[in-house]
Amino acid sequence: MTRWERGVPVYGVPVLTRGFWALTALVAFGGILTLIREYVGLGATSGMTDAYAWGIWKTFNVMVLTGLGSGGFAVGIAAWIFNNQKLHQVMRVALLTSFLAYATGLIMLGIDVGRPWNFYWVVLPWHWNVASPLLEVAVCVSLYATVPLLLENVPPLLEYVIYEQPKYRDLALKAEKILEKVFPFVVALAYLLPMMHQSSLGALMLLGGDRVHTLWQTPFLPLIYVSAAAYLGYACTMLALLLAKLAWKRGLDWDVCEVMNKITANLIFAWTALRFADIIFRGKLGTAFAFDRFAALFWLETVLILGGAIALKSERRMNLGFLFNAYVAVAVGGMIYRLSPTTLAFQPRPNAFYFPNVWESLISLSYIALAVLAYLVAVKKLAILPASNEDWNKMAAYEKVVRPELQLTGYTAVEH
Amino acid sequence: MAMTRREAFKNIAKGALPVLAAGCVSAAVPQVAHAEEAPGFSPEAESLLYDATKCVGCKACMVGCSTANNLEPDTRVDGLHQAPPDLNYYTKNIIKLYKSDDQKEWSYFKQQCMHCADPACVAACMFAGLTKDEKSGVVSWNGSKCVGCRYCEVACPFSVPTFQWEGYNPKIVKCELCNHRTAKGEKPGCVTVCPTNAVIYGKREALLAEAKNRIKANPGKYFENRVYGEEEGGGTQVLYLSHVSFDKIGLPNLGKESIPHRLHIQHMLYKYLALPAVLYVTMAAVIRKNFGHHKHHLLEEQKKTGLRPQL
Repeated sequence: MTRWERGVPVYGVPVLTRGFWALTALVAFGGILTLIREYVGLGATSGMTDAYAWGIWKTFNVMVLTGLGSGGFAVGIAAWIFNNQKLHQVMRVALLTSFLAYATGLIMLGIDVGRPWNFYWVVLPWHWNVASPLLEVAVCVSLYATVPLLLENVPPLLEYVIYEQPKYRDLALKAEKILEKVFPFVVALAYLLPMMHQSSLGALMLLGGDRVHTLWQTPFLPLIYVSAAAYLGYACTMLALLLAKLAWKRGLDWDVCEVMNKITANLIFAWTALRFADIIFRGKLGTAFAFDRFAALFWLETVLILGGAIALKSERRMNLGFLFNAYVAVAVGGMIYRLSPTTLAFQPRPNAFYFPNVWESLISLSYIALAVLAYLVAVKKLAILPASNEDWNKMAAYEKVVRPELQLTGYTAVEH
Repeated sequence: MAMTRREAFKNIAKGALPVLAAGCVSAAVPQVAHAEEAPGFSPEAESLLYDATKCVGCKACMVGCSTANNLEPDTRVDGLHQAPPDLNYYTKNIIKLYKSDDQKEWSYFKQQCMHCADPACVAACMFAGLTKDEKSGVVSWNGSKCVGCRYCEVACPFSVPTFQWEGYNPKIVKCELCNHRTAKGEKPGCVTVCPTNAVIYGKREALLAEAKNRIKANPGKYFENRVYGEEEGGGTQVLYLSHVSFDKIGLPNLGKESIPHRLHIQHMLYKYLALPAVLYVTMAAVIRKNFGHHKHHLLEEQKKTGLRPQL
């Protein structure tokens, strides 16, 4: 067992792998498709219609994936507000996944809207329609991704400059000092904004009225939606850590994992209780036992999410394969829940049907590929993934041999 | 060192006090300012009254609408007739046919914007790309404000706004009650051509009275002896009379509350941004304190290992 003490880059593996080029090709293809979409319009390049006016670019890439990318917010609150020191070690992974989910989500929003050139009104508050939940989402998401979330991701970048770019070292040190001064205020903003926009993402469908199935449509939809983002953020962070173990044999700090397991499971128990209480108090529990696709969808969500949480509490979680599957169940279940109000449980007209077409799916996939690509490069170049101090020293020794031309200032211990 | 749980909760409690205090203040203030009245209708509110019992389904109003609004006729179904299956970016007004399964009950019905008292599309719109005119009550589109997000389509309970799915400069297309014609004293395109006066144009007050007169003169003729739009979804400017149940002719059962009213809890929470501001200040205070602990912890680690601390 490892003790996670600091972020250590994934060293000794090439950045330019076959996977790298495959992802790059997909991203480039997505870029070309994007240009075509901008020229010919949304009709030919997507499965969207006037009935289902929102397709996967909004409902999946933004509403689902920013939920999954809520680790920076959800894990961060436990670390910084509830002062759970152990969780600081996984914050960098959480923050990176969050930033990439939000950044690519914002790009997808820009591609999805028909008249993006009018978005400049967002910087002129006196033109805002403050009654619109989508305005709240637009303002908070763009502000969150470009200011606090970006700043929270800057320390590993500055460290990289300090270690490997002696020319800019002094500048980076200065920037680090300034950032440290404002950091608490940045972090507080990084929790306030997601609380607001992740709940507003749920509020969006309040205007959907009764066309959203009653198991999902509730005045508490914003609260249930933001709380789903919380455990999704934990699941995403843990999956990233487990995959790092699988791909690069990175050690796991079981003590930290246990904290994550416990919080995730408890969040899910509370969330499920809230959801059922809401349905029961509205007197709609009967619809969950109707013999239709909505009831089936509801139980699919519940079984995956709650089943995952129960698995996280069982003794078998010590088996990493089992643990991985439990988190996959939580993530998939939570993602389905986040997709339901806008898509799966939304019936805008009696016989309306939506399924993303091939171009729409490829564009969606290519921006996910962009996030994965950026993640892979970042964890290999920057100190993101947690490891022990010993691992850090091993890395420094390795780099000294392999790249003697670099002055690795600070990679090895500084003397006092 | 890590804090104990008790200390952590103590911290939170300290932070929570100002929240409570400010919460009381902000709860007291909105009661004065938050006297949100149900949006009514201006006496000038322009309206249509459609009587499904008079409609013969000739679709002249669809042609009249296209002509009045310079819209190309949508002949995509068979290349000959203007017979679109639904409202779309060529079609601001449509006549459809409802027939029951046993073919015994049937009715034509007309669909166009209802110009709601409190429109969901207007509440949804980020930058007032859709606005409701204060005097005429007409809901119209402004291309210099519209981002093309299509939230109006998601929000409208009548599925009225449509999006132009072709080209690089798409528009939102919807009935604007021919406000370019009514400004000149002319009637809307659909009204001028209707051979049976199934759809008539006028001020809402007058048309509502007319509808009630028809019900009074023909008791039992109209569904539930009532006018759709008088109260539905907070009231609509366009009014309907029908012999078949309203939900059969594309008029959903909305209740008396407007759709945007469902956002009132959100609006309360965001009032003056007071609650978010208090939350921010509280969190910043707690984080600042914990940040000090964390930094102390990092520096101790550095002394032990000699490695540069990571924030």
